[in-house]
Amino acid sequence: MAGSLIKIDEEIVTSAVASVTLGGSDWDSSYDVYMVKVNNIQTDTDTARFQFRVTTSGTPQTDANYDRATKLLLAHTTFGNVYNVNQTNFDIVGSMGTATGEQSNLVMYCFNFNNASEYSFGTIETVDFGSSARIQGQQGGFVKTTTEANDGLHFYMTTGNFTSGSTFTLYGLKK
Amino acid sequence: MATLEELTTEATAEIEAAKPMYKQVNNERLEFSSADYDQAITDLANSKWDTQQFGYVQARVEAYGSVQDQLDMQYWDGVNGTTTWADHIAQVKSDNPKPS
Repeated sequence: MAGSLIKIDEEIVTSAVASVTLGGSDWDSSYDVYMVKVNNIQTDTDTARFQFRVTTSGTPQTDANYDRATKLLLAHTTFGNVYNVNQTNFDIVGSMGTATGEQSNLVMYCFNFNNASEYSFGTIETVDFGSSARIQGQQGGFVKTTTEANDGLHFYMTTGNFTSGSTFTLYGLKK
Repeated sequence: MATLEELTTEATAEIEAAKPMYKQVNNERLEFSSADYDQAITDLANSKWDTQQFGYVQARVEAYGSVQDQLDMQYWDGVNGTTTWADHIAQVKSDNPKPS
């Protein structure tokens, strides 16, 4: 159906920043499902971890209530499983760097974010080109095991910055 | 192995050196608040801790090679009376030690 994805917020990095918040005051709570597109993510520092948290009233939630289960798809060796509970964030890429071609891209679908009496859920699908010219992907999901409403996502690097061109876009799925 | 406190000290120095740091909110580029800097130190220290304590797991997974390749090594070890597979596993463990 044409026009099913309604753009709510877009953050395009034009000058290096260590974190980007999507949603917050731009959040439109009239949707049941949201799609998040993150593309051309590059960093200016080696061994940077690319992570995210959900936000409430625009503030990143740092409590230890992030559970995740994903399949790690690796071109150079056996696929792996990534699973953990009660984390303080969701680890998207364990190590990013500055070598030629290194970048991350992902799509997420977010559910229940507006429901203050249920957990927030999400699916995630990533593709990264990492160190040693390795391609890898991740497919799975996460749940924030807190009964709270969420109104966005906070993406950050544990060291260094997102460089110019890194793009974060939030869409609502029209009913 | 460094303690979490030692890694936090290391992270604090790195974040201090990286100042000023910026965040992007509502398409505005703003300098980190004091709370943002504190959280960045915590996140960096935890990241260093995870790498130190658990980095060897993924490193070993990648270095072991596929199950198919390992089975092939074991087949030829059986045929030739060699210890290629056991030597390979020992080398991977040695190269990627588990933190004590």
